[in-house]
Amino acid sequence: MIRRAAIGVFGGVLLLWAAATASFLLMRVIPGDPVAVMLGPQANVSEAVRQRLREQLGLDRPVLQQYVDYLVGLLRGDFGESFQLRLPVTEVIGRQLGATLQLTLAALGIALALVLIVAIVARTRRTRAVAATVEQIILGMPVFWIGLILLSVFAFGLGWFPVTGSRPGSLVLPAVTLALPTAALLGQLLRDGLEQAERSEFAETVRARGAGDVRLLAHHTLRHATVGTLPMVAYVIGSLLGGAVLVETVFARPGLGRVTLAAITDRDAPVLSGVLLLSCAVFVVVSLLSDVAIPLLDPRRRERAAPRPDAGDLSA
Amino acid sequence: MSARSVGRRVLAALSLTVAATIVLAGCAGSDAPASSGTGAADGSAPSGELSWAIAGATLSEGHMDPQTSQMDVTAMVQRVVFDSLVFQNADGSFSPWLASAWEVSEDGRSYTFTLRDDVTFTDGEKFDAEAVKANFDRIVAPDTASAQAASMLGGENYAGTTVIDDTTVRVDFHEPYAPFLQAASTPLLGFYSPRVLTESLDKLKAGGPDVTVGTGPYILSEYTADQEIVYTANPDYAWGPQGQKTPSIQTLRVSLVPEPSVRTGMANSGEAQLVSELPPSSVAELNSDLKVDTKAYPGMPYSLFLNEKYGVFADQKVRQAFELGIDVDSAVESIFDGQFERAWSVLGPTTPMYDAAIEGTWAFDPKKAEALLDEAGWTGRDADGYRTKDGKRLSVRWIAWTPIPDDRTALGNAIQSDLKKIGFEVVREALEPGAYNEQYGPKTYDITDWGFSGVDPDYLRSHLATDGFQNASQVSDPAVDALVAKGAETVDPTERAAVYTELQEWNAQHVAIVPLYVPALISASAPSVSGLTFDLYGRPLFYDASID
Repeated sequence: MIRRAAIGVFGGVLLLWAAATASFLLMRVIPGDPVAVMLGPQANVSEAVRQRLREQLGLDRPVLQQYVDYLVGLLRGDFGESFQLRLPVTEVIGRQLGATLQLTLAALGIALALVLIVAIVARTRRTRAVAATVEQIILGMPVFWIGLILLSVFAFGLGWFPVTGSRPGSLVLPAVTLALPTAALLGQLLRDGLEQAERSEFAETVRARGAGDVRLLAHHTLRHATVGTLPMVAYVIGSLLGGAVLVETVFARPGLGRVTLAAITDRDAPVLSGVLLLSCAVFVVVSLLSDVAIPLLDPRRRERAAPRPDAGDLSA
Repeated sequence: MSARSVGRRVLAALSLTVAATIVLAGCAGSDAPASSGTGAADGSAPSGELSWAIAGATLSEGHMDPQTSQMDVTAMVQRVVFDSLVFQNADGSFSPWLASAWEVSEDGRSYTFTLRDDVTFTDGEKFDAEAVKANFDRIVAPDTASAQAASMLGGENYAGTTVIDDTTVRVDFHEPYAPFLQAASTPLLGFYSPRVLTESLDKLKAGGPDVTVGTGPYILSEYTADQEIVYTANPDYAWGPQGQKTPSIQTLRVSLVPEPSVRTGMANSGEAQLVSELPPSSVAELNSDLKVDTKAYPGMPYSLFLNEKYGVFADQKVRQAFELGIDVDSAVESIFDGQFERAWSVLGPTTPMYDAAIEGTWAFDPKKAEALLDEAGWTGRDADGYRTKDGKRLSVRWIAWTPIPDDRTALGNAIQSDLKKIGFEVVREALEPGAYNEQYGPKTYDITDWGFSGVDPDYLRSHLATDGFQNASQVSDPAVDALVAKGAETVDPTERAAVYTELQEWNAQHVAIVPLYVPALISASAPSVSGLTFDLYGRPLFYDASID
């Protein structure tokens, strides 16, 4: 178990290094000079000034040296400075991270609640078919469309929620918008797992002992099905924390999605690699956690030490 | 720990999350949209909050500083923090503001300003001639890399600012520079506190409460990037452009809402009492009790620049045919819902010295366009119906930088289909800024497009002079160079008007630029807002505004 964890951590570090290298290469390969983008096509700035700017940003050093400096900086914990804002990357990401965390937690909470409710309520074949159809429809709708519909009904129409701002009410609609497709995805997986578990022999036994549907679900099959959805939950957490740029734009919320989009458009390489590394780290951590959680939930997946032969027997 | 109890714990945790979320949503959801308090208009203590929704998506990308930014939105939103030397009235004349009087030397090379002595920055620093010099020097400093403010301060023409005494300052230019007063009335040449210029110079582009410090009627008190900017009234303000003191509205809450349909919804639901940058198609959807102000932008209308040094546009006949082959009236009327007017001249109709005589002089005439193309030798036809000459197809490439609003895409499509009918191919490329710059730099395109807001026609110099930095058409005509230089140097208004009339008529003949439509800044305000005025750029001014 320790060895497995150690391999997992080492793999994670390798992944982080690959992400850092990939983002560094991407920014060099895509055409476009950050200084030109910073100033805009209509800037009356002389070439000498542009060259000075490039020097200040360290863009005039040879590529290999930039790469080495960059890696060394990462090891020291220095993620560099944004080209456009001249703020440390940690600050640029940090000032938007809180909003993304809020939205992720809220969306996840609502999604899990929805999944649970649907699992408990939809127990017969017909209700499950209805649930499956609804989930399919939701998954087919673009997320910004869902957001705009919710806005026009609940914010502009009924006036129940504010659109923007930092008040707690303004978190509800964007969280629900993100939660719906997530719940649909997780719901399908959970239902698959439930149906599988209900077909197995232990379920027959439990029913034979007189347990009703809800008891069967809550005490027995739910745990089996949950184990199957854990990897997907981990993936969803990772991608939500990477930012949801469409929802952020529609609901005028700050977040990592918009930071990433701005970094790409403005060729802001330090910010972009900061975001990529953060995303990668989140995925690694969450995957490790889910790997650890599965044996905890499902005893069949735990390693059990095989009974060792008594040393005395061999010599016989 | 037994497996059963682990399952129980998981279930318990899940149930807790569910319960917490429902409770949170429940008690938060009962917030009604923000209702504004009262802001008395009678000069008593300021109160009330005005919620102002703008697009503002680019502000967080280092565009919070009007002295370096090339974005219009920076000037629009930071006007409330930065005051200027003079104020430009609706009729184009100038009145005293931070400068109580000024003198222009005979040769037009020096401007001497007498400053008010009672002005302070909101961090306590005094506003004096040293502050003016510090700000102007910062704008032209090479390290600042100012995209627009530096050229408004004269660019290479700027010779320096001299402090004569605490309340007298002189700005010198190498050549006479007539546009300076208009430039000095904009927030781009507004004033930061000298302390901020020494201590936080590198933070100005990012902006923030202790960094964006000016002398204006409002103080930037909170800033959440990509979400909102909160301005609170400056209690010591006593030097408004018409003598106004601290504004009536205590708090200006600017919400940054990139989606236009969401802004429209906020106007209708009352969540925002003032909404700017509305798209023309939304005007029909606004509630009838909202007051809608449509202010045409002064300056260069949205136009196409025909690059005459690259491909087929080297031939004037081809350029003229291009212009006559587009049905601008129908396209602009239908795409913009009748909200925007089509343009005729390189000056918009609300720009001073606009020449109305040009209107109607180059109306849609496909027959004439075809005749011109025949004359130019494009008589062959290929399999797709496009004209050819010497085996080459009559084709031009148009580069545009993203994001492109839907209405401009529609306009682009209309132009392409109009020109296809006369055998002219237009290929349109939407490029994101990095890729766009790669082509714009070496000028490897036939057409590009933009509009440029400016109250003084001097912006034509950068667009038409041989070494102009916005000369996308690559015009290089010594007569034009002489004209734009003369326009910048002539102080007498009648003589200047004659120069710019000649320039507008030159373009109507030469067709370096094809003006298409006059964009307007569309704002909607709630009936509870009164006293809102607009500057010549169409941007809202809050000196006299109040809210009930």
